Amino acid sequence: MSLPSSAPILIEDLTVAYGDQPVLDGLTLGVGAGRITALLGGNGAGKSTTLSTLLGFTRARSGRVAVCGIDPGAAPDAARRHIAYLPENVALYAHLSAVENADYLLALSDERHGRAAIVDALRAAGLQERAWDQRLAGFSKGMRQKVAIAVALLRAVPVLLLDEPTSGLDPRATADFNGLLSAVRERGTAVLMVTHDLLSAADVADEIAVLEAGRVAHRVAACGPERFDVRALHARFQVAA
Amino acid sequence: MTLWRHELRLLLRQRPSAFALVLLALLSVAAVATGMAEVARQRAAIAAIPAAQAEDIGAVADYVDRTKDAGSAAYYSFHPTWDAPAPLAFAALGMRDVAPYMLRVRALGLEAQIQDGDIFNPQIALAGRFDFAFVLVFLAPLFVIALFHDLVSGEREAGRQRTLDALPRGGAALWRRRTGLRLVLLWATLGLPFAVAALAEGVAFGVVLLVLGAILAYLLFWIALAALVGRLRWTSVANAATLAAAWLVLVLIVPTLGHVVIDRLVPVGQGAEIALAQREVVNHAWDIPRAATMRRFYAAHPEWSDSPPLGADFHYKWYLAFHQNGDEAVAPRARAYRAALERRDRAGRALGWLLPSVGVQALLTRLARTDLAAQLAYQDRIRAFHARLRSFYYDYVFHDRPFGRADFGRAPRFDDRAEARRQSTSRAIG
Amino acid sequence: MRIVRLIARDELRLMLRNRVALIAFALILLLTGAAVASSWSHQRAIAERRARHQHAAERAFDAQPDRHPHRMVHYGHFLFRPLGPLAAFDPGVDAFTGNSMFLEGHRQNTANFGDVRQSSLLIRFGQLTPAFVLQIVAPLLLVFLGFGSLARETERGTLRLLMLQGASRRQLVAGKLLALGAVALAAAAPAMLGLLLIAGQPGALALPMLTIALGYGLYLGLWVVLILLVSAVVRRSRDALLVLVALWAVTSVLLPRAVPDLAGGAVPLRNRLQTEVAIARDLRRMGDSHDPDDPHFTRFRQALLDRHRVERVEDLPFNYKGLLALEGERLSAALFDLYAAQSFAAQARQNAMVDAAGLLSPAIALRGLSMAAAGTDFAAHRRFLEQAEAYRYALVQRLNRMQAEAVTYADDSATDAGADRRKRIGAAHWQALPDFRFVAPTGATLARAALPGLAMLGLWLVAASALLGWATRRLGAGR
Repeated sequence: MSLPSSAPILIEDLTVAYGDQPVLDGLTLGVGAGRITALLGGNGAGKSTTLSTLLGFTRARSGRVAVCGIDPGAAPDAARRHIAYLPENVALYAHLSAVENADYLLALSDERHGRAAIVDALRAAGLQERAWDQRLAGFSKGMRQKVAIAVALLRAVPVLLLDEPTSGLDPRATADFNGLLSAVRERGTAVLMVTHDLLSAADVADEIAVLEAGRVAHRVAACGPERFDVRALHARFQVAA
Repeated sequence: MTLWRHELRLLLRQRPSAFALVLLALLSVAAVATGMAEVARQRAAIAAIPAAQAEDIGAVADYVDRTKDAGSAAYYSFHPTWDAPAPLAFAALGMRDVAPYMLRVRALGLEAQIQDGDIFNPQIALAGRFDFAFVLVFLAPLFVIALFHDLVSGEREAGRQRTLDALPRGGAALWRRRTGLRLVLLWATLGLPFAVAALAEGVAFGVVLLVLGAILAYLLFWIALAALVGRLRWTSVANAATLAAAWLVLVLIVPTLGHVVIDRLVPVGQGAEIALAQREVVNHAWDIPRAATMRRFYAAHPEWSDSPPLGADFHYKWYLAFHQNGDEAVAPRARAYRAALERRDRAGRALGWLLPSVGVQALLTRLARTDLAAQLAYQDRIRAFHARLRSFYYDYVFHDRPFGRADFGRAPRFDDRAEARRQSTSRAIG
Repeated sequence: MRIVRLIARDELRLMLRNRVALIAFALILLLTGAAVASSWSHQRAIAERRARHQHAAERAFDAQPDRHPHRMVHYGHFLFRPLGPLAAFDPGVDAFTGNSMFLEGHRQNTANFGDVRQSSLLIRFGQLTPAFVLQIVAPLLLVFLGFGSLARETERGTLRLLMLQGASRRQLVAGKLLALGAVALAAAAPAMLGLLLIAGQPGALALPMLTIALGYGLYLGLWVVLILLVSAVVRRSRDALLVLVALWAVTSVLLPRAVPDLAGGAVPLRNRLQTEVAIARDLRRMGDSHDPDDPHFTRFRQALLDRHRVERVEDLPFNYKGLLALEGERLSAALFDLYAAQSFAAQARQNAMVDAAGLLSPAIALRGLSMAAAGTDFAAHRRFLEQAEAYRYALVQRLNRMQAEAVTYADDSATDAGADRRKRIGAAHWQALPDFRFVAPTGATLARAALPGLAMLGLWLVAASALLGWATRRLGAGR
């Protein structure tokens, strides 16, 4: 499958190694605007390293990585301006309110939005009104994620990277989150989501890529003739993992 | 700018950091206040000298005026000297609690007088003074540790580090910003109370800046140490324990070890031996021919040799002469003692180049003129004044001039500033 | 008990595996060793030097030739304060007081040449002595080793696991107490060994040494309890560490310095210049021996003449000048005593304020106790000053009496060529004068002086243990 070189996320023949140990070995992957790709794979398959490389934390040994045309290895700050990233466990400042947290993260993203805009985004992200000015100390993972998504929505970045977003969420919260992701997609954001949760991935992703030994072993599209059958995929994935 | 405001809000919303900053501000203000109170007490004690002196010398004058005997005037008149605290003394009281800042001297042997101390409670002195230097040298590093030990590790442990690193203005710039903010806040909580007090005390602007620079440098040292420990990527607990241990070693243990080593390596002959030797020479004069004493004295001080010869009666010029002979006999020892004290002091200061805690203390007490060098300079002023006293009285005693009530008013008066000026000119000439 | 021992053994094994803890512990052992060795040799060198100086001063005094007794009053005597063997453990104020004193007639001199004025600025950072190591360093070591003992279990959830396995809260806390207590004992051991070495010295007293051992035991025990208390109450081990380090900094560094400073400011001392001027003033009021018409001395002379039924002082059966000197010395010494008593009382008030702060800081209570038992506190210095003044007065009055009895009034007043010879009396007189012998306090006296500090530490321990009992009952509840 070939992608236009204008795709917000573009990885070509990427090799990353820690010492002598290759983690990614010729990975090629692209995510176009308004598309969601789920990255699956067993432990140590290279999922987190892929995200790290896109964020500019890890340098590529060879190959090409581009976020909106910028090499994050060479210009991490410039690349990060186009990325919103949600780690597995979105941890924010417990002694600040939801609005204050969003305000702070936006400031760190070099953006300023008024309270009205922040509140709008929190509402769009599905956070109930009474939680807006509460300290985050009692927030669940789902609520914290909503704050982070609200920040991503306000930043209007073309790329959203998610690390295990649905782990630890109850089914209701997972459904909520997936709904939110669809909304993000509507805005034309390219979403790369690392996950173990095949069901959830199948629910929301346009494409699923399964990593094995540092490269994409299987790729399944969510539409067209390859429209995947979760059951079959599950069986294959289990064999692969 | 807004980012700094955000960081400030974030920091002050954390109750422990806000509490730490308030506590440090209170401690700085309290230390500055106690230092100023102590300096004010010392100034008041010095200001009370003239009244006491007038009463005391008045009684001597009443007595001497009956006989007009200049020798009795020299023997019974005590003349006050003092060492007024420098403007910066409030910040670092140094040795001013254990070394006298007022001393009365007579025109007799000086070596028996110059080492006298004032009255102080040794148990209070043992503890050391609660002054600004203490807050800065001993306590400020603990506040640096409290604010910096989890600068990065705390975010890592809370799971926020990657989120922050992934933001365009996060990452290294964020840590720099946070470090800068904490540094500025600590600097302000220490520096503002100090600067306000220093300007009120009339400390020169340049010296205030110098001390503010020293505060900044000392904070930076501890922050750098915290950053260094932070790079090991240990837990916040391990960082805190390591830094607290470093504090213990650098501020308490190494200086005490250094004290033991310097005491061994730089021996100081006991000052008491000088006093013993001087006493022997002085009292021996009673057992040798008086002419021998006078010969020795005139040989060293030909300017008085035109005095009429001694009769059979007691004459004060003989008494004063053997006192001065006594001083001169131990002068080499006194100089050696002083040189040894200076060597010890230099060794202690040299350690300051390695140990910031000692370095800052040495710098502050130097600038505040409360260190050993200042004590020795005060002794020099006393010596210079004593020399003037001697020539004043000798002029009467050796020329058998009567000493009346009015002559008491002509006696040299100690003026610490003039004495210091005289000292520096004589040093320039010599 | 078996479970308690098991828990203690587990805790100790964990500490042994912690390399940083092991290094810290080794360092404190080395530090104590260095402190014991240097402090001991320092004390012995000082004691030996002062004894030598004292001996030399006595020889010089005895070697004085035939003289007029009043010359000896001004030749005076030098005293060197002896230093007890326990000063090797806690030298207290020794370095901060003058250690030599010149005694002469009608003057009270200060004790001069204190080490504090002969040392580099480092002396104000503290002195490396066994007392310093145990008072300041050892508690911090215990904090480092013990802050997580309970907080760690709570934080990681292993507390409930232990309790599920049948260990009660009390057993758990007792086990941890046992482990940290063993560490405290091991940390204190070298210093206590040093104390035993000192005990072999002549003049070392058993009772004060037992008091010191008990005091330091209580103090370290208190820290063990405090550490477990904080570790039990505080949720996270990092917070436990911060709270304990803060507690240590406040009670061991801040208060021991700030409180004396406040006390010093609250009770001002009269300085030497004002004291001397005041004494001179009082002396003039009581009687001025220089004034031929002074009422006091006129009365004094008249009473003497009446008693001996003579008309002129020349006819008295002894030298009137000697009697005058005796009376003058009596008057001035009474004033010296009065003003010294006032100054001592003011200093004692300052010290009482500091001692009371032992309720705020166990380090202050321990420091007072330690110096009192070692005989190196203000009271000990005062004891020396008072004995020195008593000796000075007795010496001067003996010499004045010699002048009254062995020199005739006629000779004493003569100014002819041979008069100087006739005024002198034999050197054997000086040799017959007794030497100064410092009367050291008894062990019971020293131990009694340490009782208030001991009581305060006991109070601290009881209070901390009660709180730990309460915290134990709440341990792991509701979380």
